Formats: sequence, C-alpha cells, structure tokens
Amino acid sequence: MECSPNRYSRRSLLLVLICAALAILVGFARREGLIPPSLRWAAALLPVVPMVGYFIGLSQWLKTMDELQRLIQLEALFIQFGVTAIAVMAYGLLAKFEVVPNTGIGDSWHWWWMVLFFSWSFGQLLVRRKYR
Amino acid sequence: MTNRLRVLRAERAWSQADLAQRLQVSRQTVNAIETGKYDPSLPLAFAIAQLFGQPIEAIFSPNGGSQA
Repeated sequence: MECSPNRYSRRSLLLVLICAALAILVGFARREGLIPPSLRWAAALLPVVPMVGYFIGLSQWLKTMDELQRLIQLEALFIQFGVTAIAVMAYGLLAKFEVVPNTGIGDSWHWWWMVLFFSWSFGQLLVRRKYR
Repeated sequence: MTNRLRVLRAERAWSQADLAQRLQVSRQTVNAIETGKYDPSLPLAFAIAQLFGQPIEAIFSPNGGSQA
C-alpha cells in the first residue's frame, strides 16, 4: 500500500505556510491599527482556517495507512499527549510558584504548538524504530 | 506469535515489497510481521492465508507452538 506521504506532506506544509503568512499579516495589520474593531475577531481567527484544512488532510492521510502505520501514529500521538500534558502541568505549577513567567495563552500558544509538533515527531521516530 | 511468512515468501522468490504490494500494506508492515515485532489483525492474517493458499494455522502459531 502506498501511503503517499509526499502528497500529504506537501499539502500539510503548504497549509502551515499559509497559516504562518496569515498570522504575520494579521499581526502586522493589528500593530498598524488597520483592523476595524468589528472585524477584529475575524482577523484573529483567519490563520486558524488553514489549520482546519491541515487536520482534515491528516485524517485523510490516516485513512490511506495500513494497520501498522495507524498503530505507529496512535502510539506517537499517545507520546505527544503525554509529553504535552506533563509539560503544561509542570509549566503551570512552576508559574503558580512564580519560578517561571506566568504567560497567558495569548502569548504562549505558539510555544505549545511547538511542543505538540516536536513531541509528535519524536514519538514517531521512537515508535518507528520499535517496528523496524 | 511466530509465523512462516519469510519462508513462504522466499519459496515464491518474492521480495518484501512484492508481498507488501500483493497484501496492500507497507513494506515495513511485512518486515515487522516477519520479524515478529507485529502481529497482524485477523483480516490481514486471512488475506495472507488466502494469498499463500494455506490455512491461517499453517502460517501462524502461538509462541512455543509447533508450526505446520
């Protein structure tokens, strides 16, 4: 079975790039005061739209996989969930004890995205080695 | 679980990629089954048995069990 990861990887990369470009664009427009108050919510959510496509693409990619590849993804996602949950909890407690800055979600969401992405990649690497 | 997949494949001079294509799975899946790192689902085990024209129990057996 061909999982055609290249096709999905290319599409995913394109959607992430569109998301990043839109985030930069609306960030610039906000700083310059170009967004009318009535459109603020729409502008804020604009970069989210390609991410919806990203996750639809991921679910389509999953459907093309065979049973072992799905198991690998499941185990990788479990590692991602565990790493992220522990990191969020640890950071939250450290912030509560004023050991690290108590940043709001508005200022730190992109860091948590990084944690999600890298823990998923690490998880895939680890699990793929197991079944090699 | 142990299996005779590698032997059956070798008898037909198929590569792992050939078998993977016939079973519509990835080559990694065939390799993982052959090396005992992954036990296939029942539908895949049936597909393997059908492909080689043998009953499942002639290909797969529990750990320590005798193989046909």
